[in-house]
This record gives sequence, C-alpha cells and structure tokens, in this order.
Amino acid sequence: MSAPEPEGQNPAGASWVFVALAWAAVAIPLGWGIYRTLRTAAKLF
Amino acid sequence: MPGILDRERIIAPAGFNRWLVPPAALAIHLSIGMAYGFSVFWLPLSHAIGITDPAPDDWKISTLGWMFTLFFVFLGSSAALFGHWLERAGPRKAGVVAACCWGGGFFVSALGVYVHQIWLLWLGSGVIGGCGLGLGYISPVSTLIKWFPDKRGMATGMAIMGFGGGAMIGSPLADILMKHFATPHSVGVWETFVTLGAIYFVAMMCGAFGYRLPAEHWRPAGFNSPASAEQRGMITSRHVHVHGVFRIPQFWLLFVVLWMNVSAGIGVIGMASPMLQEVFGGTLIHLPAALKDLGTNERAQVATMGAGFAALLSLFNIAGRIFWASLSDYIGRKTTYYVFFVLGFVLYCLVPFAGRTGSVPLFVGLFCMILTMYGGGFATIPAYIADLFGTRYVGAIHGRILLAWSAAGILGPVLVNYLREYQVKHGVPVGQAYNTTMYVLAGLLVIGLIANALVKPIAPERFMSEAQLVSERRPAEAR
Repeated sequence: MSAPEPEGQNPAGASWVFVALAWAAVAIPLGWGIYRTLRTAAKLF
Repeated sequence: MPGILDRERIIAPAGFNRWLVPPAALAIHLSIGMAYGFSVFWLPLSHAIGITDPAPDDWKISTLGWMFTLFFVFLGSSAALFGHWLERAGPRKAGVVAACCWGGGFFVSALGVYVHQIWLLWLGSGVIGGCGLGLGYISPVSTLIKWFPDKRGMATGMAIMGFGGGAMIGSPLADILMKHFATPHSVGVWETFVTLGAIYFVAMMCGAFGYRLPAEHWRPAGFNSPASAEQRGMITSRHVHVHGVFRIPQFWLLFVVLWMNVSAGIGVIGMASPMLQEVFGGTLIHLPAALKDLGTNERAQVATMGAGFAALLSLFNIAGRIFWASLSDYIGRKTTYYVFFVLGFVLYCLVPFAGRTGSVPLFVGLFCMILTMYGGGFATIPAYIADLFGTRYVGAIHGRILLAWSAAGILGPVLVNYLREYQVKHGVPVGQAYNTTMYVLAGLLVIGLIANALVKPIAPERFMSEAQLVSERRPAEAR
C-alpha cells in the first residue's frame, strides 16, 4: 500500500519575486542570443 | 548528516515554488549548449601561430572538427554510464560535477592552446568537457519530471530548449571576447577559453545549487491524472529499474524512434546551408547563374545568406523544443512522434519539389518546419520515457537512450555526405544531388514511424515491486 500523497501548498508571495529574478537571470542572456541570431537570420531576407 | 551536495539535503520544504527549478536547469543547459557553437573557434585556432595567416605548424580546421565527434560520443557515453549514479547521488551533486568538467575542460583546453598541444584540447573540452555535457544534460530531467507531473513535456522541453539556445549566447560572446583579447601575438582564444570556463562554471554551480527535489509522493495542488483512457494506458505510475532496461523491447523501440528522428535532422542541419546555396545559386541574389559561375563577391553574398539560413534554422530548432514538448502534454507522446514521422516524411519529400520550382520561401519554410521536429524529438523523449518506464530512473534511462544521439551523429552525416559524393561522381548536377538524400532521410522516418507504432505499455512483471522500491529509497550506507 502506498503512502498518502500530500498536495502541494501554494507558494508564498515572496517566492514569486525569486522566481522572477531567477527567470530574468536566464532569459536576459537567452534574449540577447536570440536577438543576435535574428540579426544574422535577417540577412536571408 | 547529509552533505551539502547530497539528495537528502535538497528536499524542498512545504510551499517551495516549483517554478524556481526550470531556471536552474536552464542555467546548466544554456552553459553546456555552447558545445554546438564551438566552430566559432576553428578559424582563429587555424592560425593560432601564424596569427594573420596559417603557419605550417598551425592546426587544420578538419583536425579541430574532431571535437564535435568527441563531444557527442562522450555526451552519450557519460550519460549512459553515470545516469544510475546520478539518480542515487541526486541532481545537485551531478550538476556540480558537470560544472567542474565543463568549466575545467575549458581551462585544460586553454592550456592546450597556450602550449599548442592539440591532445590537450581534445582531452579538455572533448573528453572531460564531453563528460560534463552528458551529466549536465541529464541532471535536471528526472527532477523536472517529478516537479511537473502535470506538465512533463513542457518542463523538460524548457531545459532542453536551453541546450539548443546555448550556442546563441556562447558564439557571439566568444566572438566578442576573442576580439577583446586579440593582440599582435595572440588570436585571443586561450584567454577566451579561460573567461568562458569561469563564466560557465559559475552559471552551472548556480544552477546546481538551485536544484530542489520534491518530497516523496508530493503532487501539485489540484493535479489530476491525464483525462483520456488511452493516455492513461500509456502513462504508468510504477517504475522500471534501470538495470533491466536493456532487456525491455520498449527501450529499444524508443532508441530507434530517437535515432531515426535525430539522424534525419542531423543530416539536414549539416547540409541545409550549402544545399540552399547550391540549389538556388545566383537566384538568391537575383542573378540567373549557378553557384559555380558566380564571382567572388557574389559568392560571398550567397554565403552570407546561407549563414542567415543556418541562424534561422537554429531559432526554429529551439522553438520546436518547447512547442512540441508542451503540445505532447495534451496530445500524448506517441501521437507527437506520429506527427514528427508522418509530417516529417511529407516535408522531406517536398524539399526536392521546392528546389525544382525555384521557390526559396517554400524551401526555407520546409526546412524550418523540419528543424522544429528535430528539436521536438529531443525535448519530448524524456517525458515519453517517464510515461512508459516511470519516474524513478527516468534520468538514468534517458542517459542510456541518448546513445542513440551518438549513433545518429555517425549515421546522419555519413549518409548525407556519401550519398551526395556518390551522385556527383555519377554525373548528377550539384543542385540536384541532394534529392535522393532527402528521400533516404524520409525513409529513416518511416523506420521511426514503425518503431513508434510498436510501442505499447510495458508488461507488469517488468516493474519494480514495492519491496524493491523501499530498498532503493534507503541511503547506500543503510543497505
């Protein structure tokens, strides 16, 4: 028989600030890379 | 007391926000994704001694190109070898080892460039870095699947999208750094390696320390199992042990599915840019002439457009990773691969038609669509494995299936290059020499389609018993 499955609790409001910061840390460099790639790709058109 | 890197230490507290885990995984995948961008170093390294022009002792680009073979051989091998260790040690420890290997590999390579010893380059980035690639690639897979049982495809798609996007950041950054460090006595590569090694080490350590595991039996609030009965049949709640996986037919079917999808895609990636230039030649710049009849300036313009095409394909490659993997959460993994193989077959067969009609937009559109499915194949396979084999050893089983990537790295380019050479040697015009190749690649997709059709739920006796699961959960020293 398996153990009961605890439901996830809603995260605290402050944790969404960390989420935003963590995503920004990866999204900003990725966005820069995509922008550079788009500039190169534009030469096709 | 568990150490700072142990899996027992990273069990998340109640209320932990699971959306913090994907950026940690992305930090690692964006770093190791630079493997795709290593060709940015080949030209400067080919005149590392001569500085302005190649000297007799300078390395040849063909010699440097072996790095890609080493990358993908060691990626697949290390993922297969260390996948089980990863599941026991936890993602943080694996992420830290990956950071040491990938970052450290850059430092060893920097030494290799500094003393001009190619074996140090191969050992550093190829062997040590390749092991970092394998461990880093699979490190977040099972963690993400456990955090996102309701969005397995999307979660792993996000991380694997990072592997496709790593070169988009790394290549231009390396270019800027090499220009910054270049002097009359140095092409700036070893200094760039040291800088990149440090950046990637820090980024990957941040990612590794950002990993958290959910508590045993944790489920997101309001999580419901997949709605349709058919999907439920293809998603197990039990677990297969990694040790027995080679004896299970479904493992080999998924191996073939990935192998065929990636072989066809790798073949296309390698030839897309030269194919565009050779098929359309001067018409790309509104001149009615074949590529061989163009002057130096016109050829350079056509080559620039070829580079633009390659960049466009890389964007569709990463977009496909998140798009198809997320879609697979709704339509199921098996259906997603059916789409890859059926739609892919049609698209591959249409490429020669696009070449004959001289329609550049159609040609470009076909390749862009094909590339989304190449990326989508990588991103959807972890969720397919988790659905069939359970989540307990998904990282380790994924590691073993990645050997298909190494096999595809051999099959795809060999097929494309030899078929093209054979046809040109037998008098087929250069612009049409790719047509047969496209039909052969479409044939690979038919093999993949058959393998996918044969995938059925795993027999109950293949799964671990409750007693085995309890024994596996105990820390090693308690056993």
